[in-house]
Amino acid sequence: MSDALRGFVAAAPWPERVGMRALLAVARRPRGARLLARAPLLAQALGGTLALGRYDEPRLAARLGWDATAVAARGRALRRAEGRP
Amino acid sequence: MKERALEVDFCVVGAGGGGAVVAAELAEAGARVALLEQGPGHDPDGFTARPPEMLAKLYRDAGQTTTIGSPPILLPLGRGVGGTTLVNSGTCFRTPEHVLARWRAEFGLELEGAAIEACFERVERSLSVGEVTPELAGENAAVARRGAERLGWSHGYLRRNARGCVGSGVCVFGCPTSAKQHTGITYVPRAVRAGAELITGADVRELSVVRSRVRGVVARLKGGERLKVRAGETILACGTIHTPLLLAHSGVAGASGQLGRNLSLHPATAVLALMGEQVNMARGVPQSFYVDEFAQEGIMFETVAGPPSYAAMALPLQGAEHARAMARYPHLAQLGLMVSDSSRGSVHALGRRPVIRYTLGEADLERVRRGLARIEQLLRAAGASEVYLPLPRGVAPGTARRGDLRLMAFHPLGTARADARARHGVVDGDLAVHGLRGLHLADGSVVPSSLGVNPQITIMALATRLAFHLLGRPVPASPKLASTTP
Repeated sequence: MSDALRGFVAAAPWPERVGMRALLAVARRPRGARLLARAPLLAQALGGTLALGRYDEPRLAARLGWDATAVAARGRALRRAEGRP
Repeated sequence: MKERALEVDFCVVGAGGGGAVVAAELAEAGARVALLEQGPGHDPDGFTARPPEMLAKLYRDAGQTTTIGSPPILLPLGRGVGGTTLVNSGTCFRTPEHVLARWRAEFGLELEGAAIEACFERVERSLSVGEVTPELAGENAAVARRGAERLGWSHGYLRRNARGCVGSGVCVFGCPTSAKQHTGITYVPRAVRAGAELITGADVRELSVVRSRVRGVVARLKGGERLKVRAGETILACGTIHTPLLLAHSGVAGASGQLGRNLSLHPATAVLALMGEQVNMARGVPQSFYVDEFAQEGIMFETVAGPPSYAAMALPLQGAEHARAMARYPHLAQLGLMVSDSSRGSVHALGRRPVIRYTLGEADLERVRRGLARIEQLLRAAGASEVYLPLPRGVAPGTARRGDLRLMAFHPLGTARADARARHGVVDGDLAVHGLRGLHLADGSVVPSSLGVNPQITIMALATRLAFHLLGRPVPASPKLASTTP
């Protein structure tokens, strides 16, 4: 799990945080993954969170045409050039 | 414990859409104003355009606040200077006239006509509101437009509070160019320039109440210092979820039995689709186009979009199917559905945290079903080869049950609703808390019904009206606005 995703989970309200950590632990075990497959909503919640982290990874995002560093840098440059807050 | 005291004319709690507006208007009129904000001020240099990091930084509970009920609904709320205006999509609608007419008939609120018109104009001018151009809207909007045109459905480009926007595609994760004119870079600086004292990290714990008159607030500052603000008038603008909690904790405003009730929130979801052409949804303004063909039924479509990580989280597929669809991310388009809800929820405190209850009623469930079916129709008409509905495999929109839905909501309203009659509402038509002196509310909590459109302009217009009411002056007329965002 990336630092950003760890921070995202850590900042959640405690019921969601505890639930997500439990789901992550269950998903790491082969039997757990099979169990989760029978609970589509839980699997989707877990899958969504993991996908958020996975596709935030810069190399994977870049392959899909997204460069967050460049977007943020362009924003900074424009703000400075135009004297925005 | 160290204690700090402050004496002002007006103490405003919350620097979001409502509080920042009131604070600026009052301070610019020469009043002594304290503006207390629980969260931090955010430096846009720290906006990285990376969703997980920004969710943790800019949102309360990392955007994972969730309702209890069927189905559970994710309710992301902004935190810090600018409040939710910092992390919304910037969409600007005036309160629909039929909603204002309903408020007059049902709640005795006189908000129609020239006076509220002047408030809308003043807010829109302050926020540089204008219509998005097709070029800036990008290909995701072009897909929605093509579908709507082929079906002959009413549609248009949205009006937004943006200036110098280059379509970074991350409005809801912190605008890196400061193009979005949220209150943290518009009204709050105006308030501060006019002499208001902005105090961030101020966690307001209770109101000071003496014989049915509110005299100010008591807050805990970062580092544990206690802050006591003595004020002639106090204005709460902590947001729809937190304002009723502070009132209840202070033991006020509960006489009508309406405090914390009547929560509406515009349940929402989104549909992704695979297109033949490159869409690159995050290039352009994510929320730039609407389809209001079914607005009379309480169904509204607006484009939504974001970087790959955002789309990956929203994509309702698993495993290899998910990976295959994400490999074609440049070809994915997305359209959101928002329902003007008649269901009502509630909020109360458990310790110091909100417990939000909301169950989707049958009429709203039917709206979601119809909305999903029509979005699929629109995306197919636009040429989508695959449509990814946010439903379990094999479930069609028309047969979806509550538990099948993946809903989010962005517009909580109504938990301290306005009603001219003290037995039916928490505040009166001037947003003064019934039965108390010295206390007004200025956030979404006062909005007495679902709007059917994004609420920030309604909240800011009501806040403007309140500020001038407190000053005892009419709202000045504003010059007309330009029609297009520069």
